[in-house]
Amino acid sequence: MAYLELENVSIGFGPPTSRTEVLQNINLSVAENEFVAVIGFSGSGKSTLMSLLSGLQKPDVGEVRLQGQRITSPGPHLGMMFQNYSLLPWLSVYGNIELAVKQVFRKFSKKQLKEHVDRYIEMVSLTPASWKKPHELSGGMRQRVSLARTLAMQPEVLVLDEPLSALDALTRAVLQDEIIRIWEEDKRTVVMITNDVDEALLMADRIVPLTMGPKATLADDFPVTLERPRDRATLNINPEFKKLKMDVTNFMIGMNKEAKELRVDTNVKMPDIKPTHFHAA
Amino acid sequence: MKYKILKALDVAGLQFLDPIVRLIYGEEPKVQLSKIGRFIVIPILAFIAFLGIWGYVAPKHATKSGEVPTPGVVANAADGIWTFHKRENIKSRDYLLAGDRKETSLTEAQDRLASITKAEKAASSKVAEAQSALSAEIASLQAPHKKELAELKAFNKTASNSRKDSLSELAESVSENSSSEREAYLDALRDHNSLSALEKENEKKISAKIDEIAGMKYQPLIDARFALKLVAEEKQFLQKRVEYLSKNNRSEKVAEYEAKLGEYEATLASSSGKELEKTGARILRQEERIERVSDSSYAQPWTFPRQIKRSLMCVFFGFILASMIAIPIGILCGLSSVFMAAMTPFIALFKPVSPIVWLPIALIVVGGFIPDPDKHWFIDSINSLPIIGSYDLNPAFIASAITVALCSLWPTLVNTALGVASIDKDHINVARVLRLGFWSRLFKIVIPSALPLIFAGLRISLGVGWMVLIAAELLSSSEGIGKFVWDMFNNGSSDSFAQMFVVVFVVGLIGMILDRTMIVFQRLVSFDEAPTSI
Ligand SMILES: Nc1ncnc2c1ncn2[C@@H]1O[C@H](COP(=O)(O)OP(=O)(O)OP(=O)(O)O)[C@@H](O)[C@H]1O
Ligand SMILES: [Mg+2]
Repeated sequence: MAYLELENVSIGFGPPTSRTEVLQNINLSVAENEFVAVIGFSGSGKSTLMSLLSGLQKPDVGEVRLQGQRITSPGPHLGMMFQNYSLLPWLSVYGNIELAVKQVFRKFSKKQLKEHVDRYIEMVSLTPASWKKPHELSGGMRQRVSLARTLAMQPEVLVLDEPLSALDALTRAVLQDEIIRIWEEDKRTVVMITNDVDEALLMADRIVPLTMGPKATLADDFPVTLERPRDRATLNINPEFKKLKMDVTNFMIGMNKEAKELRVDTNVKMPDIKPTHFHAA
Repeated sequence: MKYKILKALDVAGLQFLDPIVRLIYGEEPKVQLSKIGRFIVIPILAFIAFLGIWGYVAPKHATKSGEVPTPGVVANAADGIWTFHKRENIKSRDYLLAGDRKETSLTEAQDRLASITKAEKAASSKVAEAQSALSAEIASLQAPHKKELAELKAFNKTASNSRKDSLSELAESVSENSSSEREAYLDALRDHNSLSALEKENEKKISAKIDEIAGMKYQPLIDARFALKLVAEEKQFLQKRVEYLSKNNRSEKVAEYEAKLGEYEATLASSSGKELEKTGARILRQEERIERVSDSSYAQPWTFPRQIKRSLMCVFFGFILASMIAIPIGILCGLSSVFMAAMTPFIALFKPVSPIVWLPIALIVVGGFIPDPDKHWFIDSINSLPIIGSYDLNPAFIASAITVALCSLWPTLVNTALGVASIDKDHINVARVLRLGFWSRLFKIVIPSALPLIFAGLRISLGVGWMVLIAAELLSSSEGIGKFVWDMFNNGSSDSFAQMFVVVFVVGLIGMILDRTMIVFQRLVSFDEAPTSI
């Protein structure tokens, strides 16, 4: 039995008269301690999929299960990191993380609490900004706070919605390693959205593409069998990596084309005319 | 350091001082000077221009209560109010003085009284001088007009007499049955009457000029009278002071009563029977009296500064009451659409009700709870509190505070409901993921996120409350600024007219300070950079 499971899930928004079906017939099963990356085009319904997984939304049809139990409500064991960070603007970096940690680790002493929070702030290199309010931070810093908050809760399942999209390459690499380390050491299960195929290949066990919306569904997955630990430096010349990258990219491009062809062709054919003669300069 | 100051100014809502600080630190002097010009010099110039126009226009309009006061007169009135307050404070302190300090104060006051008595004499002779100068001036100015009038009168008299003579002649000469001649006579009579009226009119014009001169404004006399008034007031004050430092002093009174008590006790030692009964009763009464006097204090009248403090206290009570009602209800409204639906008719119905309607109702209701204010536990207990107690809180005060609350709770209620209802969905999602319970969701997510709007509402409420309060005090005659205005209005002298102008400025200034304070709070709780309006 799969650890985390979506079965025949469909969801749509809006009233019956103007309804958009976002996801249709989604089937996904994630094994315990598996790292799954979801890729898909913007607006296809990735974030919607994540909110289903974290229990924030209920599917119209089908079931979402964790260890065979239907997920009925969100909770800290399903550590959701929101795409728009969702930081509380009246709390500092420290305060935001502290609120989550306090709620999850109720038995912590004051000292333990502080140590725990500081450790995660340190992890995302925000120690100098601990007392800043979110509006005083850059976009990337906010994203790091949000990530730190999710990681600090130490959830069984990490549901990460584009956790590193706003970061520069260097910071991004550090945090990728950090997520992988946590996943490996603490035996977590991770479902992560990313728009970066390299990142997916570097981190995930499996890449699941989401087809173009509306009525998006999951396409056949790409298992990533590259040996761990994966080294960023040598990965680029690894033939298996290259092949996988090509496959995934081609699949996505093909899907994009397909979607375009499905639409009514709006391109007006231009008459094929050529200048007949030029004036000599 | 510089940035700390600037930040503090920003939070305190005193951004107009910003360029001065920057200038002191030598930052872009030109830019700062132009800013100072715009935000400091121009407002000051505008205010000066306002004073100038006021000073020019005010004397042109005479009312029953005398002339509309000019800025100078208003400033004098403000000074007078303040002096009165200070003197009352001195008297109340004098009443309680004892021992050496009393004696030194007494000699001091007596010395001053001696010199002020001299000064009063000088001032009144100045007034007499000015008076006679004025009379002379008036006489000299009137003389040509008087002469003109006399001449005109004489001339008119002869003209009138000669017309009358010719009329009589005409009447004699009318032939028996000539109606046209009678008509002519009537016409001549009419002419005579209208000419006489015209002559009277001309005479009146000159008399009016003479009267105008008699009532002319003579600045030296006004100044002399004002100086005399000040001196006389001080003299009266010093006399009272001497009284409170000597025979009306508390310790003196107690000593006097104790001496009496000693006499009674001496009598008691050698008395029996009926005599004993009488003396015993006397002794007990005297002891009671001594006890009462020894913790009495000077019955200080309601000076304007004390009334201001009482008004502030009243608005503060009302505001707290309003917040205690409005914030919880607003939160409930924001949380539950059912509750909101239930409350909407009440909000819509009661919000527009004027304080003038609430006040009598509040007075009656409070009166119902507190039928005898002198012997009610609630009134007694609040009046026995340290500082608050000295302001003599009574049912009128409570009713005013309730009226303030009833009128000012709406902006807070509506804003709180809005703030709670419009909470960001993302923040709710965080609460759901963290599985916060109802109370922590309320106190950690809902209220903090609604706080800026709640404070915006509180700020409006306080402003409304301050405006309502003056009207409420005026109507309920609860001591305070409103009562002061009402008393001044009923006084109707030109002095009290000027004092009302003082009230305008004081009320405005205090309202401004309250508003500024709320802005500071609002800025402290607002978490985004959104600027608060001025
Ligand atoms: N609450 C909602 N109400 C109505 N429509 C919604 C709602 N949430 C999402 N949608 C629609 O569902 C679709 C998918 O949205 P979703 O946020 O899941 O996209 P996404 O794949 O995460 O895109 P991106 O990569 O840009 O984040 C969009 O067309 C969006 O308009
Ligand atoms: Mg998304």
